[in-house]
Amino acid sequence: MTSIYLVDDHELFLSGVRAELSERFDVAGWSTDVDAAVDGIRKNRPDVVLVDVHMPGGGGLSVVGNVLDTNPDIRFLALSVSDAPEDVIAMIRAGARGYVTKSIEPEALADAIERIAAGDAVFSPKLAGFVLDAFSDTVPVEADPELDQLTPREREVLRQIARGYAYKQVATRLSISVKTVETHVSAVLRKLQLSNRHELARWASERRIV
Amino acid sequence: MDDTATSNQQGRQDRLQVLSGRLTRSNEDRVVAGLSAGIAARLGIPTVYVRAGFLSLTLAGGFGILCYLAGWIITPDEKQYGSMIKADQPATTGQQVGLALGFLAVLIALEALGFWFGPIVWPATLVIFGAALIWDRSSAESRRRLSRLTRPSENGGGRSKTQIFVGAALMAVGIVVVLASLDSIQSLGPAAIAVLLTAAGFMLLFGPWIWGLFEELSDERRARIREQERADMAAHLHDSVLQTLAMIQRSDDPQRMITLARAQERDLRTWLFEPTGLQPTGTVGGAIAAAASKVEADFNVPVEVVVVGDRALDDGLNPLVAASSEAMANAAEHSGARSISVYVECTDDAVDAWVTDQGVGFSPQAVPEDRKGISESITARMARAGGEAIVMSAPDEGTEVHLRSGSR
Repeated sequence: MTSIYLVDDHELFLSGVRAELSERFDVAGWSTDVDAAVDGIRKNRPDVVLVDVHMPGGGGLSVVGNVLDTNPDIRFLALSVSDAPEDVIAMIRAGARGYVTKSIEPEALADAIERIAAGDAVFSPKLAGFVLDAFSDTVPVEADPELDQLTPREREVLRQIARGYAYKQVATRLSISVKTVETHVSAVLRKLQLSNRHELARWASERRIV
Repeated sequence: MDDTATSNQQGRQDRLQVLSGRLTRSNEDRVVAGLSAGIAARLGIPTVYVRAGFLSLTLAGGFGILCYLAGWIITPDEKQYGSMIKADQPATTGQQVGLALGFLAVLIALEALGFWFGPIVWPATLVIFGAALIWDRSSAESRRRLSRLTRPSENGGGRSKTQIFVGAALMAVGIVVVLASLDSIQSLGPAAIAVLLTAAGFMLLFGPWIWGLFEELSDERRARIREQERADMAAHLHDSVLQTLAMIQRSDDPQRMITLARAQERDLRTWLFEPTGLQPTGTVGGAIAAAASKVEADFNVPVEVVVVGDRALDDGLNPLVAASSEAMANAAEHSGARSISVYVECTDDAVDAWVTDQGVGFSPQAVPEDRKGISESITARMARAGGEAIVMSAPDEGTEVHLRSGSR
């Protein structure tokens, strides 16, 4: 059974999510602040960590950064009430493999966790929209096409996700396999984390300064 | 390779921490007051060197002893460090005396070493002490001004008046003695020197006060702006969040509560995160989001809106917004879906909107003639505006309405 670890400074939300997920997952532990979370995650070595973006003491960013420094194999799913692009992009660039908002339905959340545990990326419609937005305008002069541009197919997959379709539906609609959809999304995740496009750099740096 | 880099960096950080840390007296390693150990820890050298330094300076006319006394008084004990760390505290009397002692020690040392400028030194010392008193007063004053923002009734004029008086008197004496002893360089023009000295004294006496006036003005303006912002926020929260919370408490329908909470969330989010310069209803995305809020409120179904490449709303795009709104309302009313997705993409050539639900769907051919929703409000409206509308649906497979408006 996939083991998960929850990090959120809102006790109420934490207990709600714990109740929803305890049937399908092995809840290895939970923390309400950054330092306890980093220790707890290193000790319990869960498969997937659900981490809130906004927390006192550095927020989700420092949890992801600190843990990945020592345990690069642990996977993170960012969970937040914020839809602000700089929050989303900063978490992804720090190493989170997906981002969903807290209003997500319990089953969709559970699916997202399974997907992250399997090594794939999870994009909410909002995140897909941000990525399309960030990669939409003219390509920078010294662009690395491998990293600074989306392929037409990746773009089409993101459009379907932004329109609210699940991976399986996207696969059916584009006549490709679910595995191919996952490959495209993982490729986009990689570009998102490594590209030097100024929009991404700007979003990320704005967030770190705060 | 990584490891070396990391440990180098670690070492540099430790060193930085040592240098930027505050000097404290050691509690464990002390012969007299722990000052030597404190200095040694701060500089990162063995304590014995510091002790040897003090001892050898003591041989130079007792200079070392004076230095040690001055350091003892100025430096906080390790244990007090926590309370001392709050920066910008006014210097205590002990610290002031300590500084004065340190100054005297330097003078004595200079005399012992043969660097002496003759009879001008002692009057100059008086002037410096007087100026120091006045400057100390002025910084204490600005600290008080800051704290007055929170404690308006605080009053502490007495001490500072005495200080001004003493400072001015010391300075006057110093200036007079300096002028009296300047016989040897009278060729420079005594009048000019006197004017310069007086001007300097005037600036020292009144400069802080004039500067303080400016500072006070800008402090007050800042405070007024903060107060205004707080009032605006309170008014907004009162009109929105508090009203909604009151409505939720009076409602016993869970669906209604969810809708109220969602509408409020959307509203608050817009208010908090939208850039203030941009009028939200002035863009395509803003108009679609407003329509989505209305549908959410009317039908108790969440609508998720994603906009890519948002742009200004012009008249040519109004039909697209209206048709999207109609499509959302249809989906909310008939599809039975738990949520509706709206995706808007603005490009140079066109604006596209997809309204998607994963509800029951329908067979487009089977819609009766008298149900004008789709044909009139969506398809015909888009056609009149030079755009197009494609409705794709099948029973049990949800519905997708694609609207497209070419740009002109």
